[in-house]
Amino acid sequence: MNDLTASSFAPLSDQQHGEAIARPSLSYWQDAWNRLRANKRALVSLYIIIGLMLFTVFGPVVWPIDPAIQDIDQISQPPGTDRTAILVSDYEPWFGTPGLPGTGLRLAERATSQAVRLQWDALDGANGHRLYRNLFPIGPELSYGIPMAEFLNNDTLYFEDRLDLQPGRFYYVVVALDERGLTTDRYQFISVDIDRVTTLAEALERGLIDESDSVQIGDAIALALHPLGTDYLGRDLLARLMAGARVSLFIGIGAPFLFVLFGVVYGSAAGFMGGRVDQLMMRFADFVVALPFLLFMILFKIAFGIGPGESGVFPMLVALVVLLWPSTARLVRGQILQIREQGYIRASQLLGAGTPYLIMRHMIPNTLGVILVTVTFAIPSAIFTEAFLSFIGMGVAPPTPSWGSMSNEGIKTMLTTPHELFFPALFISVTVLAFNLLGDGLRDALDARMRNVE
Amino acid sequence: MTAGKENVDSGIPLLTVENLQVEFDTYGGTVQAVRGVSFSVDQRQTLAIVGESGCGKSVTVQSIMGLIPTPPGRITAGSARLRGHETLGRSTVGGKQIRGAEIGMIFQDPMTSLNPTMTIGDQIAEPLQVHRGYSASDAFTEAIRLIELCKIPEAAKRARQYPFEFSGGMLQRAMIAMVLSCKPSVLIADEPTTALDVTIQAQILDLMQELQKETGMAIILITHDLGVVARMADEVAVMYAGKVVEYGSADDVFYHSAHPYTVGLKEAMPMNDPARQHVLKPIDGSPPDLFAPPAGCGYCPRCPYAMQICSERQPQGHNLHGHHFASCWLHHAKSGRKPETIFFKDAR
Amino acid sequence: MWLYILKRALQGIITVWFIATATFFAMHNVPGDPLTNDRAMTETTRANLESKYGLDQPITTQYLIFLRNLSRGDFGISFVQENREVNDIIREHFPVSAILGVLAVVFAAIGGVLFGALTALYRNRLPDYLIMFLVILGISVPSFVVAALGQLSLVSLNTLMGFTVLPVAGWGTVMHMLVPALVLGLSTMAYLTRLMRSSMLEVTSSDYVRTAKSKGVPPTRIFTRHQLRNAILPVVTVLGPAIAAITTGGFVVELVFAIPGLGRYFVEAVQQLDYTVIMGTTVFYGAFLVFMVILVDVVYGFIDPRVRLDL
Repeated sequence: MNDLTASSFAPLSDQQHGEAIARPSLSYWQDAWNRLRANKRALVSLYIIIGLMLFTVFGPVVWPIDPAIQDIDQISQPPGTDRTAILVSDYEPWFGTPGLPGTGLRLAERATSQAVRLQWDALDGANGHRLYRNLFPIGPELSYGIPMAEFLNNDTLYFEDRLDLQPGRFYYVVVALDERGLTTDRYQFISVDIDRVTTLAEALERGLIDESDSVQIGDAIALALHPLGTDYLGRDLLARLMAGARVSLFIGIGAPFLFVLFGVVYGSAAGFMGGRVDQLMMRFADFVVALPFLLFMILFKIAFGIGPGESGVFPMLVALVVLLWPSTARLVRGQILQIREQGYIRASQLLGAGTPYLIMRHMIPNTLGVILVTVTFAIPSAIFTEAFLSFIGMGVAPPTPSWGSMSNEGIKTMLTTPHELFFPALFISVTVLAFNLLGDGLRDALDARMRNVE
Repeated sequence: MTAGKENVDSGIPLLTVENLQVEFDTYGGTVQAVRGVSFSVDQRQTLAIVGESGCGKSVTVQSIMGLIPTPPGRITAGSARLRGHETLGRSTVGGKQIRGAEIGMIFQDPMTSLNPTMTIGDQIAEPLQVHRGYSASDAFTEAIRLIELCKIPEAAKRARQYPFEFSGGMLQRAMIAMVLSCKPSVLIADEPTTALDVTIQAQILDLMQELQKETGMAIILITHDLGVVARMADEVAVMYAGKVVEYGSADDVFYHSAHPYTVGLKEAMPMNDPARQHVLKPIDGSPPDLFAPPAGCGYCPRCPYAMQICSERQPQGHNLHGHHFASCWLHHAKSGRKPETIFFKDAR
Repeated sequence: MWLYILKRALQGIITVWFIATATFFAMHNVPGDPLTNDRAMTETTRANLESKYGLDQPITTQYLIFLRNLSRGDFGISFVQENREVNDIIREHFPVSAILGVLAVVFAAIGGVLFGALTALYRNRLPDYLIMFLVILGISVPSFVVAALGQLSLVSLNTLMGFTVLPVAGWGTVMHMLVPALVLGLSTMAYLTRLMRSSMLEVTSSDYVRTAKSKGVPPTRIFTRHQLRNAILPVVTVLGPAIAAITTGGFVVELVFAIPGLGRYFVEAVQQLDYTVIMGTTVFYGAFLVFMVILVDVVYGFIDPRVRLDL
């Protein structure tokens, strides 16, 4: 304390430092943006949404495949790039191969997508045979599959399967029949791996090879590329996802944008006018809310009458807007009424502010956050609604793809070719997830009560 | 452990707090809410902690109770001893629960401090069940007796009602009944009358004093109302920016104020004695930002007597006479200004 | 209390009447009618049928006839399923939908409260992250995908065990109901979990929980006696809308799991413009929802003492 001198105790000259503010002040939107940026999940979601937009807009430029074109060689093809077919000679009829080596149910030659040629020996005590084909092993409950052929004597001990053959594994079962033609418990089964083949004529017709190409029987021919595989009609899944994104995102973003806009105009009009008009307008909104949603969506669709070649996107958009605006209207009206009662509005009025100034300076900035959050949360629910309606067959009309209708088609072949359901469902889920998380982030960022806390 | 009883008579104060420091991690950084607070309180005594909003009064007492949410809160240094036993970071002392049994606490807003979906009687009975092992029905009977003790009419009927059926003053009485149920040795009242009407305030304070006489408990009263302090306190601690700036008996602090902040508080307070009426003088400016505490005295920017040294170094504590303590450079031996000319001008 | 219920019931009847009226006129103004279908029909047959069903009357007369029959609880005969009374269709298929829906709501409510409370208790720790991840999935995956996955997992479960643990489709026993109800309630459960979590966190930082802590009440007792009941309140208020959402969503689950509920009949009826079935199911669903919402409000009154006096 010896270093203290008289000058240390001199009075401070001025109160120059009385009202210093320590931290910089941020505007509402700057602060909100800062907090949104600090929220990793919301930021990643924002990037995903931007990525989806780019996928929808620029995807078809990078991958210019027509989503409606069918590739008959590759139906329900799982994703992958390495697709070839072996060139074989043209089909010739076959009536069994006498003296085929081996016993039991067996292949007469290599199984191809052209034909599966099976031959067997008569089962003990059989008065005939029935042949089944299945996609699954026979299992403990003895599920044979679909019956393919029935022979009521033991003369024919061969069968040629040419029905809808796809590369992959099939299971064949031959069951002995008794004298009355009923199945017995004696059976034999075989699993068959089918290779993809094509003939010269087919390859030329589908443009897989040119006339000038010199190819021989046994050569591998490259098939068209489908990075995400194909659907049950052989249409390219990636191209359909891009086209479907256009429909799903158009409805998913367009409808909320429009019905929120209408709701804002309607709600703020009701809130401003107040009194009788307000009561009447809100009563009407209540009635619209009470309408059974699904019923009226379908009635709208019928009323619009989707003609041949129309996608039904526009009627769906209109129906969604007409049925979904009241919740926003109610929210905005509530906000307007609340803000009108606030002290700062009174203060502003006392200072001589007119209605336009009040609206521009106070009402809009103070409701914009809530409206923004409403839109963000309305988007995933609209995407869901589109998917739901398409799923029950009440959405966009085929062949227009949407993620919902693609899921609907994919669900039928879920057990054998899960990718047809997986990809559209994944796109729906990721989009909905991204908008939900962005909405959460926006809500937290725009909530004025959350400022400077965390 | 075994010395619990003897300590009462051995001259050690009932509750001693020394150099308590508490920090909070927040979105904007670390706030040093309490920066070395010391005080003590004895049986049958009332200590008032005075200061403006955000000075660390509530955080101090909540730390003693272990009510600081951790994280974001953190007690970084200091001790609080009840009858010589450390309480910080512990839930029991001498075999008794600190919270509810040894130290009871009532809060500022009785409207939100009681569970809205539980009857008043059940809430008063709860500590008895938890700490004393009463059966539910015995506890409820005792709760009715406590409600009567706190002068709420129709106790048996009131005990079956919910908080929303009570007025603010009645709720605060119920709070007191609840806290007294286990006969704590210390009662902490965190601005118990701030949310109440003035007439109700007086009734609540009277009730607290009366109950103190009966039970001999110590009261720590947190307030920013100097009128309440004058009425209730034996000792006063004036807090500013997380520190105790003046500490002493109520008479010393009021009539021999030794810190410019205390003087400022007094000048800002209305008097109803016509002989001593003066023009109310607000304290300009606002408290320092505790995200980055100042190097010197926290009050320096607002202090009309500030000196060069005040902005550079923390003032030392000065023991003025007896029990009276103030932390201000004006009391330093080398200070050219006579503190008496500033502080004691309205001394009797 | 009874006066309140009476008042709400009256409001409900007005709502149902409005829905019925709006549906009636919207339905009749849509192009086409139930007699227009694949079957070729002579002019006379058509005229006969029209007079049989009263379709030759002016629309207002038809509406008045509908109202008169409605007041007697008679919805008439289906157009498409000839000679089948709408009341029979409802009586047969509605209980299936109702049981499925109520079970789903029960699943959703219990799961939502339980998981929501857990996430709040273990805030920012592993159980919180785990449950919230599942919740996000539950909110983001469309209901039909969840239904398909539910069925797929049943198939694999049965294959794995070698016998039928739970039936994959159909209706009849409790076993048939479990997985469909779970699937149907899943998104609502996810929503309720989120709600319960935020409500629980709000309650945790409330003044009265601080009071309870200062009384020395142990954490488990604070949780059961103070936090849970207060935190459930907002969850109960949204149960009414949740029931409505589950009833609408029931159609997908009924479709995927081949459950003979009313939802399928309803959608088919709308597609074929089967006037009487549309009106019957719409009015019935509307009345059911109104009833459930009133029920939820009455239950809320028992949980929150503050609203009891207002009843």
